[in-house]
Amino acid sequence: MSIGFVLPSASKENKEVDVAIIGAGPAGLSAGIYAIRAGMSAIIIDKGNAGGLAEEAPFVENYLGFEGIEGEKLAKLFKEHAMKYVEISERNEVRDIIMENGKFVLKAEKGEYTAKAIIFATGTTHKTIGVPGEKELFGRGVSYCVTCDGYFYRGKRVAVIGGGNSGAIAAIYLKDIGVEPVVLEYMPTYMCEKAYQDIINEKGIRYITNAMVTEIAGENKVEKVVYKDRTSGEIKEEKVDGVFIYVGLIPISELAKKIGVETDNRGYIKVSSKMRTNVPMVYAAGDVTGIAGQIIIAAGQGAMAALAAYEDLMLK
Amino acid sequence: MGYIGDKDKEYLKGEFDKYLKENVKILVFTGDNCQYCNVATALGQEVAELHDAIEFHEYPVNGEEAKKYGVEHAPTVVITDGDKYGGRIRYVGLPSGYEFSSMIEDIIDVSRRDAEVSDEVKMQLQMIDKPVRIQVFVTPTCPYCPRAVRTAHRFAILNENITGEMVEAMEFPEWANKWNVMSVPHILINEDVQFIGAYPDEQYIKYVVEAWKKMK
Ligand SMILES: Cc1cc2nc3c(=O)[nH]c(=O)nc-3n(C[C@H](O)[C@H](O)[C@H](O)COP(=O)(O)OP(=O)(O)OC[C@H]3O[C@@H](n4cnc5c(N)ncnc54)[C@H](O)[C@@H]3O)c2cc1C
Repeated sequence: MSIGFVLPSASKENKEVDVAIIGAGPAGLSAGIYAIRAGMSAIIIDKGNAGGLAEEAPFVENYLGFEGIEGEKLAKLFKEHAMKYVEISERNEVRDIIMENGKFVLKAEKGEYTAKAIIFATGTTHKTIGVPGEKELFGRGVSYCVTCDGYFYRGKRVAVIGGGNSGAIAAIYLKDIGVEPVVLEYMPTYMCEKAYQDIINEKGIRYITNAMVTEIAGENKVEKVVYKDRTSGEIKEEKVDGVFIYVGLIPISELAKKIGVETDNRGYIKVSSKMRTNVPMVYAAGDVTGIAGQIIIAAGQGAMAALAAYEDLMLK
Repeated sequence: MGYIGDKDKEYLKGEFDKYLKENVKILVFTGDNCQYCNVATALGQEVAELHDAIEFHEYPVNGEEAKKYGVEHAPTVVITDGDKYGGRIRYVGLPSGYEFSSMIEDIIDVSRRDAEVSDEVKMQLQMIDKPVRIQVFVTPTCPYCPRAVRTAHRFAILNENITGEMVEAMEFPEWANKWNVMSVPHILINEDVQFIGAYPDEQYIKYVVEAWKKMK
């Protein structure tokens, strides 16, 4: 049995720091450690738990130093490490940011935080596919989180829509807990790492390519997923009890945009090689930059962002 | 060796020292043929040992105390002052995995005899003048669930008519099935109004008010 805990916080607070880090995923936690070690004061604020999306990763096999570890455990280690240095405020959503006397004021659920610099480590949310049935059957078989809901389908068949790394990992996890998954991938080839491709084959997981999902159907609950075979044009279906959707991610960058930060056309925050944005004293790191959705890269970018903030704030 | 690691214990002790004010009781209700009852008991005991302000009691689920606190399932863990909060802040099934943190936060709030919500939400909470039961179905591996559980519990701390009950869907599959729980957190209010997801307080309270209005 594993246990994890959130850092409790008492009543509303007002704080002033050098660097406010929004998001306590791998990028934010790493930024926090680097910020404090450099000699700045900092706080990490997260609307959920520290750990971010890494908590949803069933099994991580590509983080240096760990041959294989549950995302939940890795996230806990990250958090414990960061906690040694930096205050982490969890379940505390940052809802607005304004400029006041040359400083940023972050208005959050649990208080107001004034900062000289901000690091956006806000990550992403799951993308929807927008086919009929997806919204209607959400919570009735349609899900976006295998670690949350996978167990409800033990002994049943489900479809994983999207065969990229996340989808592949999700399918492998489902198979491991006794669910029968089939992966539906739009592209003509495997879209996941070779390492996952090998496991998928080894475990006998069906991975259908060229499948354009057109509908999730069922009365009151998911009964089947309908797709068009892009090679033959034929309409096909898979009878399933559940559908897990892993078709990509949407960056969480509205707050950044609000203070003038530039994003690309998909909403990813544009950064320099040192994680600076176009707005002075504002940095971004991790999945919200769209550079690569990987924990090790998010952590590296977080470190870089904190070091850049240090350069700009303390060495000038 | 207990369930809580030494490092975690040390950390929790520090937090309890900082935040605990008045007494808090952890009540664990246990019964026969209950797979996780001994774990619930051990977990409650281990937490209670970390601070003088925390008391631990174990009661049979078919006894007097269970009736008094409105508890029907084993294991149920109740966090209470023994009086004002009664059995309204509770966990049916183990508060393990991510939910362990909810329990720790509950202990701190119950000890403070207060919880944080915005003024707007507080005003809406004050309207609730009839018993409303909020049930939150979770799985221990769901990182988003504690937010939904804690909202129910914070509301219960702030309004005496509200009961906030976590239900561990894996331990009580028939119960989860009855309400077609297939995605968590799944919130069920008065066995009537339902929604799925870890919504902010402002949206959450709307569902609570909706369920309350339907009682008239
Ligand atoms: C199923 C699955 C499997 C995966 N497997 C792997 C793997 O094996 N290896 C690997 O390297 N990567 C894996 N990943 C990807 C990995 O989880 C991400 O790359 C990583 O978590 C990104 O870190 P981040 O810090 O940039 O963002 P996140 O982890 O997304 O963290 C962002 C945080 O910001 C918070 N936030 C956002 N907005 C606000 C706000 N307004 N106020 C306060 N807080 C806010 C969020 O709550 C969140 O906690 C997987 C992902 C999935 C979904």
